[in-house]
Amino acid sequence: MNPVLSATVVFVYLAALVFVALRARVARDFDEFSVARRTLPLALIFGSIAATYVGPAFSIGFVGRGFHSGFLFLFVGSAYAVQNILVGLLVAPRLRELKGCFTLGDAFGQKYGRKAQIIAGLISLGICTGFSAVMIKAGGVVLTDTFGLPTWLSVSLIAVITASYTTFGGLRASVITDAFHFALFAILLPVTLLCAMFFHFKGGPAAFSAEAPVATLNGLRSTPAIEIVGLTVAFLLGETLIPPYANLALASRTSRVSKCGFITAGIFSILWFAVMTATGIMARCIVPSDTPEDHVLLELVRSLMPIGGYSLLLVALISIVLSSLDSLLNAGAVVFTEDIVKPLTALSDRTALLVGRRATIVIATVAAVCVPAVPSIIGGLLICYTVWASAILPAAIIGLWLKNPRPLAGVLSMGVGTLVAIIAIAIVSTPDFETKTRVTIIPALGAALAAYLIGHRFGKIKAGA
Amino acid sequence: MQFQTVIVTVILILVVMAALLVIASGVWVAAALLRAIARPRTDPQEDAANQR
Repeated sequence: MNPVLSATVVFVYLAALVFVALRARVARDFDEFSVARRTLPLALIFGSIAATYVGPAFSIGFVGRGFHSGFLFLFVGSAYAVQNILVGLLVAPRLRELKGCFTLGDAFGQKYGRKAQIIAGLISLGICTGFSAVMIKAGGVVLTDTFGLPTWLSVSLIAVITASYTTFGGLRASVITDAFHFALFAILLPVTLLCAMFFHFKGGPAAFSAEAPVATLNGLRSTPAIEIVGLTVAFLLGETLIPPYANLALASRTSRVSKCGFITAGIFSILWFAVMTATGIMARCIVPSDTPEDHVLLELVRSLMPIGGYSLLLVALISIVLSSLDSLLNAGAVVFTEDIVKPLTALSDRTALLVGRRATIVIATVAAVCVPAVPSIIGGLLICYTVWASAILPAAIIGLWLKNPRPLAGVLSMGVGTLVAIIAIAIVSTPDFETKTRVTIIPALGAALAAYLIGHRFGKIKAGA
Repeated sequence: MQFQTVIVTVILILVVMAALLVIASGVWVAAALLRAIARPRTDPQEDAANQR
């Protein structure tokens, strides 16, 4: 690969990113830093949700899965679309209608009391930091593989670049840069598929037609049913209402925008998974069959594109990582300020903004330091999914629908869900870690639901409700 | 065999349509981005102060 051309493409990309981030401007108060004054239109909400969930797993990972299992992961992934559509129909508008809410923890505070808000805040902060560590690791791998940089330097570059614009611009900068990243990869990656399908001598529609059924049957035969069920549950619940999405639901211009943003993002996920798995199937005709799963996309593009095109794809991959990371850093900072610091001490708006900015830097630093502890990109994501779904979802979803939820139910569900998820993950930390982690979400979620029901049966209604 | 060919052809058409729709989404969001960064930022408090 020509290093000068690659460096030029990356430099032009960084210059464009800086321009866009500067145009997003510095946040002047906490309302702007946390929910962008609740003025975001549908296209930006949609772009930001989609850019956040399309991380390395939903791009590089899905191409690799398509390579080995054909369209199997398109069917499993459709659970993710269902989740987004259900959140859009049932949860996001209700969340948006709550008055004075900046985070999901605020909703917990209104429904279950201050103690529940702080616990939800601590769990959300941990999840944001965990997800951020996974994203920084993924970005570091791309930079190290491409430019041969030492890992510590790649990790630091990713963390510093993202933290810099998120610290000053807050949610608006995150959403605006997400739109920039989304436009880049949503145009570049499907073009890769269309090139492979129509302009490559080993590719073509006939080759695709021959490989699609073979790969899909191969995937169905080699994946146990319990693993498919576990993965479907993880896709259905693992990322539901994680802090960046909750913040976007709250930052929408109206509750209708909030609802439509999630529904369109859900529909888009099906299209995206179709494109990614089909790219993986197409790669079966072009790259060697022993190519490791995470390298299929890179190998495919290396074989298909001229050097400039390959560099552009690298830029798209970096975009995918940064757009997920900036949302997570901003959400973590807002959660820390709103759900952990504010319930314990009164803050002026100016101080809250300062705390939010400093928290962004601290979370990015902690996440970068934790990168060596991340087992793998998919493994790290599965741990976060398991903890989040069990700890937060039962209390969040039931609480938004019940008129008088019991504080004991919320606290018990979060405590038991977190504990069982951590114990289950610790038990399966074996060499077959990733496969087993896919099913730990089921007992952990069951325990959290049971704890909620017990708390609801024996708890008292919140004072003043 | 013919049935399988029809199914695979339909899937192929759907995949191409999906790719075009993803590209269209990218263009839609890019247009919204350009509108957002071109618009001067309004501040309700500053506006109110200016009007006074």
